[in-house]
Amino acid sequence: MSQPATSGRRGSLTKEFAERRSIRSEAMAYGMVAPLLVFILALALYPTVLTTIDAFMHIDPVTPPNHFAGFGNFTAIFSNPEIRQSFENTGWYVLFGVGLTVVLGTTFGLLLQRKFRGRGVVLAIVILPWALPGVVEGVIWSWIYDPTFGVLNSVLKSLHLLSQYQLFIGTRQIESILLTSLVQVWQITPLATLLVLASLQGIPGELYEAARVDGAGWWQVIRRITLPCIRPGLAIAAVEALVLSLNIFDQVYVLNAGASTASSVMSMTYFITFQGLNFGQGYALSLLATVVTVALSLGTLKLIYRKVTF
Amino acid sequence: MRKRIGVWARRAAIALVILWSLFPVYWALDTSLMTNAEAQSAPAHFLATQPIFSNYQALFGVGPEAPEAAGGIARSIVNIVVESGGAMLLTLVVAILGAYAFARLRFRLKNLFFYIVLGTLTLPVYATLIPLYRIMTQVGLVNTYLGIILVYASGFMPLAMWIMYNVFLALPPAIEEAAVIDGASMLQRFWKVALPISTPGIAATAIITFLLGWGQFIFPLVLSSTGSTQPLTVVLAALEGRHVVPYTIVNAAAIIAIAIPAVLVFLLNRWIVEGIIAGSVK
Repeated sequence: MSQPATSGRRGSLTKEFAERRSIRSEAMAYGMVAPLLVFILALALYPTVLTTIDAFMHIDPVTPPNHFAGFGNFTAIFSNPEIRQSFENTGWYVLFGVGLTVVLGTTFGLLLQRKFRGRGVVLAIVILPWALPGVVEGVIWSWIYDPTFGVLNSVLKSLHLLSQYQLFIGTRQIESILLTSLVQVWQITPLATLLVLASLQGIPGELYEAARVDGAGWWQVIRRITLPCIRPGLAIAAVEALVLSLNIFDQVYVLNAGASTASSVMSMTYFITFQGLNFGQGYALSLLATVVTVALSLGTLKLIYRKVTF
Repeated sequence: MRKRIGVWARRAAIALVILWSLFPVYWALDTSLMTNAEAQSAPAHFLATQPIFSNYQALFGVGPEAPEAAGGIARSIVNIVVESGGAMLLTLVVAILGAYAFARLRFRLKNLFFYIVLGTLTLPVYATLIPLYRIMTQVGLVNTYLGIILVYASGFMPLAMWIMYNVFLALPPAIEEAAVIDGASMLQRFWKVALPISTPGIAATAIITFLLGWGQFIFPLVLSSTGSTQPLTVVLAALEGRHVVPYTIVNAAAIIAIAIPAVLVFLLNRWIVEGIIAGSVK
């Protein structure tokens, strides 16, 4: 991350004038930053502190009063098999989400790299899923996956890959998670594609020419030049996919509702807190997920993000 | 010959990319124009034989299926426009002011403030969801536009600040310096020089923030329990979840929710791309 800029030269103004000016400009700077800071402190940092404290409290409107509970919420969470399953499920969501997004994003980026007629329209089409609400995507895909009238069943049966219509989501764990994750992958692949495209533009043409002169094949070029050069872009794409899949909720809520087959930590947190009214455990889950999200995203960045120099 | 095959393979692959990106939306559109009987035919019809609009009419209370289908869709469309539009405006004003100060002005606590704001960029929804619900309940802002707009805006501000910060940094300093030499005050320098030449960046930030607001689900789900403030996304999920409304009508509602983002993407995609890139690679 870059340092904030230090600003302007003073030119040939007299010293006294410059000082008066800089005091006024400093006051103006605080005035401009103040609203932003108030919002961030009041509605982002203060709530985060509350989450951290309340994760160690017993907070349950059904069984008052609230009191300090130590690690009680955490032991309760880890001894609840449904919550443990949501941990495992979220691991699968992350695996599928990051893996598929990175592979598809790289492939799409490489395909769309070169100029061709209609490229602008194709790019707009590729971006479209990114711009749509996750809930809407859950709804339209749930119709595609529909067990009695869905088009996926229809196509698979026409191709003789299925003998009869199937229930895709809700019975088999991995299959349910993969298909739910696919809806999110559909949404976030455009982001990865754009990041890959942006990194591809930064590769100097001479590198490719040199490789051609040396007689490298297309796969060698991709492996030795393209992939290493787009690494920073891919790192960002992977982190975004990681954070989004750790937080997957909309798609799970629509496709899977409250069932535990494909539940995610986020959906579990929602149901425990706002349906079960167990705020303390909800806070504990939230704190765990927050710590894991922040740690994993920083860790991943450190692992794959290296500045590329030519 | 080999080159020929390569060209066609590439074209076929691009066609697959288009199919992947567009088919689910096409399928929802197709279904929304079908009668319920046709939507349930097997094998599936890939083109509605006789497109009808009664599914859309039903959502607005017209026709025989109206009573169970019209789940306050009209109101939820107003709500989602007010909430994502309001959050966009508030985010823009606050983030632009802060971003300019960070990019161009000198002040003592700059580094500290900058990292506080950027640090919240990594915070997931988990960190703030439950406390924000409880704070909003305490101050009586649940089921109000204001409550939802404040929560959205505070969530969008770090990203909007980061995009605008990069936009301001990329401005050639010579232009602003020329204004200063001509005797412009700091305020004039910001208002009359920096802002007008940053219009493309501001537009990109505006579109991205609006789309973020349009896509919100868990916050409005928690912060609005009645139809008075529930946005289209929440009402759509409820419509689908009740399992009594025909899928043709649910898909019509989905298409309404898709329409605005789709129009924005097709008209303004260049700015969206710029904004996304400015917001992530640095």
